[in-house]
Amino acid sequence: MIVEDVICPFCGCLCDDIRVEVEDNKITKVNRACRLGASKIRGHERIKAPMVREDGELVETSYEEAYQRAAQILYQAKRPLLYGWCSTVCEAHKKGILLAEEVGGVIDSTATVCHGPSIIGIEEKGLAGATLGQVKNRADLIVFWGSNPAEAHPRHSLRYSTNVRGKFTEGGRSEKKMIVVDVRKTRSSRNADKFLRIRPGTDYEVISALRMIVGGNGDLLPERVAGISKDDLVDMAEMMKAARFGAFFFGLGLTHSRGSYKNIDNSLSLVNELNSHTKFMIMPMRGHYNVGGFGQVCAWETGYPMAVDFSRGIPYFNPGETAACDVLANGEADAALVVAADPASNFPWSVVEKLAEIPVVQIDPFENPTTLISDVVIPSAVAGVEVEGTAYRMDGLPLRMKKLVTSSYPSDEEVLDGIIKEVRRLGDDN
Amino acid sequence: MREITIVPLQEFEVPLEAENIRPDIFATLSLEEIRDLEVWEGNRRRYLSDLFSVAGNDGTGECLIRLDGDFSRVKRIGEGMREGEILVRGNIGMRAGSGMRGGSINIEGDAGDWLGREMRGGSISVKGNAGNYVGSRYWGERCGMRGGEIEIEGSAGAYLGDHICGGQIKVKGDAGDFPGASNRGGAITIGGDAHLPGAEMVSGTIVVKGRARVLPSYGFQETAEIEGQLLWKFVGDLVEKGKGELYVALVEDDGQLDK
Amino acid sequence: MIIKGGIVYDPTNGIFGEEMDIFLEKGKVVEEAKGKEIDARGLLVMPGGVDAHAHVAGTKVNTGRIMRPEDARSGLEPKTKLLRPCTGYTVPNCYAIGYRYARMGYTTVFEAATPIIESRHTHEELEEIPIVDKGALTLFGSNWEVLECVRDDDLDKLAAYVAWGLRASRGYGVKVVNPGGGEAWGFGTNVKGLDDPVPNFDTTPREIIRGLVKANEMLNLPHSVHLHTNNLGKPGNYTTVLDTMDTVKDITSTRDRQVLHVTHMQFSSYGGTGWRDFESEAPQIAEYFNRNDHVTMDMGQMIFGNATTMTADGPLEYNNARLLHAKWSNHDIELEDSSGVVPLVYGRKMPVNAIQWAIGLELALLTESPWKTLLTTDHPNGGPFVNYPEVITLLMSKAKREEEMATLHELVAKRTVLPTIERELDWGDIAVMTRAAPAKVLGLAEKGHLGVGADADVTVYDLRPEKIDPARDHKRVKEALGRVKYTIKGGEVVVRDGEIVAVPRGRTYWVDASVPEKDAERVQVDLVEKFEKYYSIQKSNYMVQDAYVTDPVVVKAGVI
Ligand code: SF4
Ligand SMILES: [Zn+2]
Repeated sequence: MIVEDVICPFCGCLCDDIRVEVEDNKITKVNRACRLGASKIRGHERIKAPMVREDGELVETSYEEAYQRAAQILYQAKRPLLYGWCSTVCEAHKKGILLAEEVGGVIDSTATVCHGPSIIGIEEKGLAGATLGQVKNRADLIVFWGSNPAEAHPRHSLRYSTNVRGKFTEGGRSEKKMIVVDVRKTRSSRNADKFLRIRPGTDYEVISALRMIVGGNGDLLPERVAGISKDDLVDMAEMMKAARFGAFFFGLGLTHSRGSYKNIDNSLSLVNELNSHTKFMIMPMRGHYNVGGFGQVCAWETGYPMAVDFSRGIPYFNPGETAACDVLANGEADAALVVAADPASNFPWSVVEKLAEIPVVQIDPFENPTTLISDVVIPSAVAGVEVEGTAYRMDGLPLRMKKLVTSSYPSDEEVLDGIIKEVRRLGDDN
Repeated sequence: MREITIVPLQEFEVPLEAENIRPDIFATLSLEEIRDLEVWEGNRRRYLSDLFSVAGNDGTGECLIRLDGDFSRVKRIGEGMREGEILVRGNIGMRAGSGMRGGSINIEGDAGDWLGREMRGGSISVKGNAGNYVGSRYWGERCGMRGGEIEIEGSAGAYLGDHICGGQIKVKGDAGDFPGASNRGGAITIGGDAHLPGAEMVSGTIVVKGRARVLPSYGFQETAEIEGQLLWKFVGDLVEKGKGELYVALVEDDGQLDK
Repeated sequence: MIIKGGIVYDPTNGIFGEEMDIFLEKGKVVEEAKGKEIDARGLLVMPGGVDAHAHVAGTKVNTGRIMRPEDARSGLEPKTKLLRPCTGYTVPNCYAIGYRYARMGYTTVFEAATPIIESRHTHEELEEIPIVDKGALTLFGSNWEVLECVRDDDLDKLAAYVAWGLRASRGYGVKVVNPGGGEAWGFGTNVKGLDDPVPNFDTTPREIIRGLVKANEMLNLPHSVHLHTNNLGKPGNYTTVLDTMDTVKDITSTRDRQVLHVTHMQFSSYGGTGWRDFESEAPQIAEYFNRNDHVTMDMGQMIFGNATTMTADGPLEYNNARLLHAKWSNHDIELEDSSGVVPLVYGRKMPVNAIQWAIGLELALLTESPWKTLLTTDHPNGGPFVNYPEVITLLMSKAKREEEMATLHELVAKRTVLPTIERELDWGDIAVMTRAAPAKVLGLAEKGHLGVGADADVTVYDLRPEKIDPARDHKRVKEALGRVKYTIKGGEVVVRDGEIVAVPRGRTYWVDASVPEKDAERVQVDLVEKFEKYYSIQKSNYMVQDAYVTDPVVVKAGVI
């Protein structure tokens, strides 16, 4: 059987044109996806059965037992953290938020280690965005700042940005300009019409300088800004102003360098101001395919897109205090649930050590370093391959992920439901 | 003045929220009633006396609260207080004195993040260091601190006085990144060093008596003498057509950054 | 269930303040029924409220939430055994929306704008809004397929596209925002009037409006075209509106309703040449409505304090943001439309805001028939919907209007005629503006009334119409309107004494309109090409799946 127009459950590009061949409930061929996407769809070795830690060893158990153990851990905790959510569908997010309410926990997504600062920037300034198709059809100038799509979002350029043709961009790449700003040469920068290599930690200053030029105050700038010549900056600003439609994509190089959310804040203002000269949009290059979806669900359910603390029954939001990395780094969490993510690989070591000290429940189809520090491990079906559901692309566009093969594992949603039921039972008993 | 002394009975495994530890709340309550005030231990509702010993004068009236011991995991102390005094003989947790309108909080140790967030009046002094976001705004709001004074003998973390709209902050030591961002009328003095002060400042002043890296969107004006020290005076942030005044003793140039 | 002895206002059925019993069974109003009795003796009883225009779900609304954490600091209500926690004032979370409507006696609300391609999101949020029934109006004012059909004067194809777009979005009606402007904004420009050409598409707003109104009537849709006019929010725009309404006057409605609904008219009733000589032209607009029967409007009443403006009118929001130096979000939607979100504060002492406030009230008070003026605040553009009790009391009490005006900038007396208006609406008028008329305007036969066969949606207010004078006791009236005695939804008591006691799921209305096969095929040919060349997703992934509308009410329409 051939399934057309499959949606790739790997990166925020959420390519929806993948062709998958399925034989005997097994995926035999994946076409059109990049290598990252193809390997995710093909899958690899799975966690076989639920496990609980007994005397330091993970031993297999039943789902019922695993749900009960998970529920006990979360129910008894005074400050449980429910973390992850980037690689599963919105249906699971909804259950996760409900569970966080039930156990009075803190819920947060992997945005805490990727585009959390972008969201904070948006809270300060708003975001001048557009769907990716708008970029495809109109953009004649594309800026990648601190992002390397050639490696991290391999089909971005072909489907949406520099190398695609659209209604008003029929000439494709030859009629477009591409600017890359980064601290080092990358595969993406090689293809750029202009590459601005900046020193680590100087993004904010460079953006301020560009805002000065765009705002007509370039003459007040010094000859060099953070090591970059003013001529170079004027050139870049002029390219941006001269565009008919400009698109500014930024990645972790901007959100996680010195300056953090202020860098984003400043970029949003730059793009805002460019709109008094031409049309310009800006977008974070979201990494995991549905980390954006968690932000959406969390916002409509709680009013906030991440880092929500339910400990007092009313949502409270304060990144710097309630983000997953804060709660762990400050030693606040006394238990954790990790769903569809791998904090043991993505958090700083000092934070991982804290995580290792508290009981951890993991829900994931695949074993990863977080499994090693988990006390209850619950395998689930792979969302977007074995389970249908909603995901939001990096531009906020929602798509319905497909089910390609039938799995014997329960979905993340079902697992969470199982735990919620057990938590409620504990609540009724007390 | 009536004195109430509070001492933790244990080390706290998870942080507490204790916005009821506030002199103007205590002022109207008997000792027994104070012991019955609500505190939150993570997601558990507790009585103050479950977690602390509470001793002092009974009866009602204006209040001095002494906090003896480690309160570094106790959040929201003195939140919104309008009068009275809190004396902390140790460290204090996050969000102390946030939204405070009057009275004073004196901390002998260190203070956590968000000290005096959205403060409107009164005074806070810290003998040790303070964390990030001192005197800042809440996310998305236009104004942080609007009035009152914060004095820190040690150093402060990043985002000092973010969106400050009034009042004064003095730090004897260093400040972290982006002090006085989006300043709209507050006064910040930093005894030591800082990184990129006054980003998007519209009005107000920032004085850095040590070294600072200055944004390219600041215009140099002249040299000025402040408290006997010769400082460079800049105006900005010009990206916001700002007229804020930034004084810096030692301007960090690109050469220094390269090292 | 029997609701006993209420003083009933059911304008659709000609009932204005009669004492009577109402019988409910299996979710419907019936002749006679047994069972639980609700004691409503002497109390004001109306059908459940119907909000025909509010922004409650979808990308714009969620963008508002994401960019405004400060808004979520207010309106906090903790989780209970029954209820999910609530946050927000101008952009409340989904649960707060459902609970707050129910507490005001509202049982139906329509989301005012969803772009087809992002309708999946709109429905995800609608599904999470508890209690109330709902629906969404689909944006058609700048879609390339619409522009091309209009340019080619191919009405059959246009109608077929509209039918397909409604199905693809699971939408209920045709919403048009700043026609042509959404496309122009794709390159940062706008259309300035009805005859200003849409760049690259060789058509005009006038042609788009006429084309869509005709297509709407060809399809015999329950609702008319629902229009946010060009030049909305700009001084002097009342002439655009008058011209717009005249331009569809020759088109006949195929149903017993208006041929065009002009929404949040307050934002389109402006005189003056700029903000300095800004003034109300509401009397001219009301006059037009008093002379013509082919159009309806809703107020778009402004409420002082915080608002979050959100609209598919992208250029309007950009200008708002620049004028106010406010946060600005923009979201352009490939091949379809644009949109923007800007938070702002309406101030009593701001001359423009004071005049805007008066304009909404003038429109409702100067238009003779309440059937033509629905009560809205264009939530959350004019202000949050929780202020409907405030608006109702303003309409019912001159004394309250005077109290308010005394606190406003004095220009309100010079640039509007509000101080000279004596009219005070009565409960019948209010029942029309908040129930009967919105249901009729939307074409919802089983909503907004209490005749046999109507949905068992009923509001019982803790007010004794025979004892209380709303003109004088407006404080008491406002309180009671915000905290009803009972809300009954689908035959179930959901609110008692202002508290939510049950949380059923609401249903979602959408329209399935049939068209001739050959036109449907011609549209498909166009669409296949558009997806191959221009859209960033595949055609097969475009249409909203059934999974997103779990409890649908599918209304059939169309040409065959
Ligand atoms: S670019 Fe991203 S979404 Fe597209 S196929 Fe590759 S991994 Fe999947
Ligand atoms: Zn509207």
